[in-house]
Amino acid sequence: MSFWDKQPYITFVPFVMLFKLAWRNIFRNKRRSIITVSSIIFAVIFAVFMRSLQYGAYGNMLKNIVSSYLGYIQVHKQGFWTEKTLDNSFSPEDITYLLDHENVSYLSYRIEGFALASKDDNSKPVAILGLDVQQEKNRLGLDKKVVQGEYFTNRKTGILVGIGLRDIMSLQLGDSIIFLSQGYQGSMASGSYPIIGFIDLKTPELNKRTVIMDLAQAQELFAMPNMVTTAVLGLKNDNWEETQQEVIARVDTNQLEVLNWNEMLPELQQLIAVDKAGGLFVLFILYSIITFSLFGTVLMLTEERSFEYGVLIAVGMAKNKVIIVAILETILMAITGIIAGLAFAFPVVLYFNIYPINLSGQMQEVVEKYGFEALIPTSLDPSIALSHAGIIFFIVLVVNMYTIVKIKRLEPIKAMRR
Amino acid sequence: MIKVTHVTKTYDDGKVRVEALRGINVEIKNGEFTAIVGPSGSGKTTLLNIIGGLDTPTEGNVIIGETNIAHLSENQLIDFRLNHIGFVFQSYNLIPVLTAKENVEFLMLLQNKSEAERDERTTKLLKAVGLEDQINKKPNEMSGGQQQRVAVARALASKPDFILADEPTANLDSASTANLLDIMYRLNQEENMTFVFSTHDQRVIDRAKRVITVEDGKILSDIYA
Repeated sequence: MSFWDKQPYITFVPFVMLFKLAWRNIFRNKRRSIITVSSIIFAVIFAVFMRSLQYGAYGNMLKNIVSSYLGYIQVHKQGFWTEKTLDNSFSPEDITYLLDHENVSYLSYRIEGFALASKDDNSKPVAILGLDVQQEKNRLGLDKKVVQGEYFTNRKTGILVGIGLRDIMSLQLGDSIIFLSQGYQGSMASGSYPIIGFIDLKTPELNKRTVIMDLAQAQELFAMPNMVTTAVLGLKNDNWEETQQEVIARVDTNQLEVLNWNEMLPELQQLIAVDKAGGLFVLFILYSIITFSLFGTVLMLTEERSFEYGVLIAVGMAKNKVIIVAILETILMAITGIIAGLAFAFPVVLYFNIYPINLSGQMQEVVEKYGFEALIPTSLDPSIALSHAGIIFFIVLVVNMYTIVKIKRLEPIKAMRR
Repeated sequence: MIKVTHVTKTYDDGKVRVEALRGINVEIKNGEFTAIVGPSGSGKTTLLNIIGGLDTPTEGNVIIGETNIAHLSENQLIDFRLNHIGFVFQSYNLIPVLTAKENVEFLMLLQNKSEAERDERTTKLLKAVGLEDQINKKPNEMSGGQQQRVAVARALASKPDFILADEPTANLDSASTANLLDIMYRLNQEENMTFVFSTHDQRVIDRAKRVITVEDGKILSDIYA
């Protein structure tokens, strides 16, 4: 080994020394270090809280709309979703083999039809949801959503009416509603059904137009025995994308369509995408400020320490080791800021997860207009915190490029000239 | 042995051309206690920088031991300085966040010396410069004279072939200067350590065994005491 090959690697002992140098350098200008670390703490808290709130809101939307009602995947007669007519229906027997799929735990059959509901002088178009009231009781927790009257206990007759519709049509328990509609293959559909309870489906838009009855009763109303319009696939885990593809491969796609929640509610996906983009823009501004703040620190540190770097290189310290000391200093500050930021952010995020923000006033109206609950819980997804910690760490590395270039170009004689 | 042959150094920024050294030839043998003197702008610091591998000559060779450092790359020069040259600067230039002991130990850590060897040599050197009771003090807790003595101990720590000292007494009072010169003179006598100074200080010149006078980039005189 020639004499100049002695320094290319870093053994443990010199690294301890480099670390010691970097660590002690942090305390040379305490005020600046505190400002730098504080700005990182603020950025982490703000970014993590904001993103957790956004993702929590999306999660709540999905929970409201998708997991409790729509399901992640539905099977229909081909074309039903674009033309919701009862003629686009199918027999449940056509798809029972899907229960053999490893991620499908059950199949929930429904009829989704429309009718004109009348009571006295009031009439209103409503959505009639026919489902197996006993089976869906536990799956959808419908019995717990009954706010007045009773669920289909020991009975399958009668209807549950959304609380919004109750208010609009001034309905009371025991009232009967007359439905008029077109049934299967152009038949006349009509009937009178007593109200056994009022239900709060948690989304105002659904509450205003939903009537729930037993599947058999709906089949009778619409004259479509042993036919359904919808089969909701109950999944054992949330891996709906892969499951959907596998189900598509198994069914006759000329006869049936297999749609996921994204495809059924593209407007929800668009809403989330727009909201995410808005959030990203705010984050971009925040991170730009943090980048310039960190760059300012790095710039000052590098300029202030140029003389010292010159001395270190003059006495024989390899430039790569000088670079490590310089970068370690900002990395240590960043890590301190990130850890402290996460430590401060966690209880805040946890609190708002347990006690979600309850929107009121105009915001409440806007959110409910889209059919969502006016509640925003924060998400506890650890990837949010980790990703933002990672972004800040990446910014630190990027701004340190200046230090690297500066030290690489540093000439000790020039640097040591005061 | 330091052998400088036909060394020239020209600074040219495109507008102004300055010939700092014009064909310098000089040999400094092991164990010498040499002062390079001359007025400001004479080229003595440039010569010292070139001997120390901090600057490269425009022409000529600088052979230290068996290595012509004029032909080394930047990284090779850094390693050469670490292992062969000790530096003492006018402003001491200790690492402010390290204690006296850590400052002296610093270069040995870069050389990957064992802890036992580092401890033994650090203790010995700090004792040699009379600072064995100041080992845990940081530079800002010591006087200028004490700091410069730590700088001498640091320069010796890596077991260099010689020590280059650029105006080492410029910031010291008389007592500290005398004390520092005593220490360096003793190290020269007892350990045969080669010292090369660039200085204006008559007290240093008086103690030097050889005085090389540089003027206008040329050696004007080379006198052995």
